[in-house]
Amino acid sequence: MAAFLIRRAAFAVVTLFAVLTLVFVVVRILPGDPAQLILGDQASREAIEALRARLGLDQPIALQYLSFLANALRGDWGVSMVTGQPVLAEVLNVLPWTIDLTLVSLAFGVALGVPLGVWAAVRRNRFVDYLVRVASLVGLSFPAFVSAIILLFLFAIELHWFPVISARKGSLQAWAQSITLPAISLGLTTAAYITRVTRSAMLEVLSEDFVRTARAKGSPERIVVWRHALRNALIPIITVAGLYMSTLIGNSVLTEIVFSRPGLGKLLVGALNQRDYTMLQGMMVIYTLAVVVVNLISDLAYGVVDPRVKLG
Amino acid sequence: MRKIFVAGLAFAAFLVAGEAAAQKKTLVIGMGSADAGKLDPHIASTTPDKGLLQYMFNGLVRMKPGQISPGTIEPDLAESWSSNPAGTEWIFKIRHGVQCHWNYGEFTAEDAAYSIKRAANKATSSYSNDFSGIVSADAIDPYTLKITLRNPVAGFLGYVANINGGNMVCKKAAEEMGEGFSKKPIGTGPFMFAEYQPQQYVRLVANKQYFRGAPQLDEILYRYVPSDASRDLAFQSGELDMIYGKQDQSWVDRTKQIPGVKVLAMEPGELSTLFLNITEKPLDDIRVREAIAYGVDRKAIVAFKGAGTSRAAVSVVPSGYLGTDEHASLFSYDPAKAKELLKEAGYPDGVTVKTIHTTLTGMETFIEAIQAQLKKIGVNLDVQLVEHATYHAQIRKDLSPLVHYQAARFPVADVYLTQFYDSASTVGAPKAVTNFSHCNVADDEIRAARVETDPAKQKELWKTAQEKIIKAVCGVPVYEQLQLWAWKDNLDLGYDLKGSLNLAPPVTEKTHFLN
Repeated sequence: MAAFLIRRAAFAVVTLFAVLTLVFVVVRILPGDPAQLILGDQASREAIEALRARLGLDQPIALQYLSFLANALRGDWGVSMVTGQPVLAEVLNVLPWTIDLTLVSLAFGVALGVPLGVWAAVRRNRFVDYLVRVASLVGLSFPAFVSAIILLFLFAIELHWFPVISARKGSLQAWAQSITLPAISLGLTTAAYITRVTRSAMLEVLSEDFVRTARAKGSPERIVVWRHALRNALIPIITVAGLYMSTLIGNSVLTEIVFSRPGLGKLLVGALNQRDYTMLQGMMVIYTLAVVVVNLISDLAYGVVDPRVKLG
Repeated sequence: MRKIFVAGLAFAAFLVAGEAAAQKKTLVIGMGSADAGKLDPHIASTTPDKGLLQYMFNGLVRMKPGQISPGTIEPDLAESWSSNPAGTEWIFKIRHGVQCHWNYGEFTAEDAAYSIKRAANKATSSYSNDFSGIVSADAIDPYTLKITLRNPVAGFLGYVANINGGNMVCKKAAEEMGEGFSKKPIGTGPFMFAEYQPQQYVRLVANKQYFRGAPQLDEILYRYVPSDASRDLAFQSGELDMIYGKQDQSWVDRTKQIPGVKVLAMEPGELSTLFLNITEKPLDDIRVREAIAYGVDRKAIVAFKGAGTSRAAVSVVPSGYLGTDEHASLFSYDPAKAKELLKEAGYPDGVTVKTIHTTLTGMETFIEAIQAQLKKIGVNLDVQLVEHATYHAQIRKDLSPLVHYQAARFPVADVYLTQFYDSASTVGAPKAVTNFSHCNVADDEIRAARVETDPAKQKELWKTAQEKIIKAVCGVPVYEQLQLWAWKDNLDLGYDLKGSLNLAPPVTEKTHFLN
């Protein structure tokens, strides 16, 4: 177990380093000048050059890279070129919003997707199965921003149950009001995905010998399906949920925009539009870390749900 | 099952129970951007930032609220002013007892002098070019400011008005905070900076000590709502009182249907111009440039963009500016003539012209319409779409022989002419601004007009400059896009809104809700 963790940590460091270098180079290859964008279109070239010098962008790129690495090793991710705030502070400002949304929508997706998938598998090739399969296909191909507008229109404008600007905080009620629609909007796609994976995993497991044995010894069907079969179908579901969680963090940008919620997605797109190099670099580290951590958690989860899996 | 149903109902009830209706003293504005930029009036250059900063700052003088014409200039922090006959020495009498926000002390001539030097410094300002004519700015006594100019400056008062570099910052605060000033901007305006929540809002509170009297509103919540659709929905649901509109006619038509709402297309109009690089093939041939000018149908573009939100260009300078030739002889639409000119230039089978263009929606639909029009005369416009920051970078490197640019500037002809048509502003030059066409045909007139003290002669020089630029087809001005806003009609702005140079409606001490 310890050896496994150490190996994974080492691997994470290599990944991080590679991502950092790639991002550092790519953002600078992109056309577009942060100084120009900060100062706007009435600034003269002199003023822009002056700002470039202050941001250190007039240095040779190799030198910029070295000082960036040196600072990064000391845990200093620099300050945003646009706002002047430390990158880490900017990220931490909005991180809770992203974590909220990701976890709640994933929970929603699992809570809806797993039972539906199981149900469809049990009723294979019957009406329910077809219904669930079609519904999940629709869910998968339905863009989150469209469902977002429809949800807002129904529940915020017509029924007045929820605010349009879903960024309230301060009380449990405010939080619930702000997270429900965005989480449903984002979670529907997740649910569709998980439904399909659960269904196929369950179909496979249900045809295995031990299920027949369980049935033969007279276990009630409920126990057979939910205790024996589902447990053995969990591994692919966890893999997909884990993979999907990494993409959720990135996919959430449209949801954040439509629901006017703060979040990492918006921060990243904003930094990209502004060519905020330091911000982009810092954020890429966060994303990479998030993916590495999520993968690690799913690997550990395999061991928990299936004692046959040995980590090491 | 019943238990679940009851629990679900309880949860729904818990969600729906709204907050108690507060007395309406907070104005909530919905802005179409994802977040605030740099909240420093001497640096801010975007609509969202300028719109917000105007509530916190004053100039020495100001355009009457709701007006954009320099003819409406009235006292702001300066009670009165005078200049020597040559227009090179200006004395401003500063109002007594004006207080800087959050107890930063009285605003004096010392602050005004500091502020002007700060705006003139290229390390601290995006607008240093505007102040290059200033030799010195000094406080003679606490209430007297003297500004000395190298030579007279056309429309000088405009540079010390409440926009861009003319916004007056408080010295003590700016010096104390340095780079941090943009995180807590300190001015003298009717509202004071209170709080910033990233990607959510900036909250301003009333400046009870405001020299024109305490504002009737308690707060302004300036919310960042980037999605056009969500902004509209939040406006409909009552979460926003005033919104920045989606900049097209269909939005106006739709929003006007909502009861209790005012919709306005306000000044300034942003002029869309096709700048033609006169040094690059095939545009170095004037006949090709003329053909393009003849091939653009301004009326059709206005019809396409919407008559209520746009209007045809009148000159290479936007209409209504001091010095605009309102009846300039622009090329009229004449496709036959255009084809003939192309043939003469040696392109009987048509010619391809490249343009690098932004993907910003409003601008993109425009260039598609132009592309269709030019196709009819045999000009194949090769539109290369790139995202906005890339566009800004590439058009400044001469990579786009035809540049579509949309801009409003301070409403004095000099500013537009200098930035877009003076050869000193040519992209790539040390003082480069936005002369994409490499135009140099009217340098003499532009520069002479800048220092001309006789208004009649100055106007004549500007007129000649515009004629020469039109004739040389450095740019083909097409149409002007107005700024679209909507607000609830129970909001009384307290003045008559025609326009705002800060691109968002002013909120003054008199602005209030009627109920």
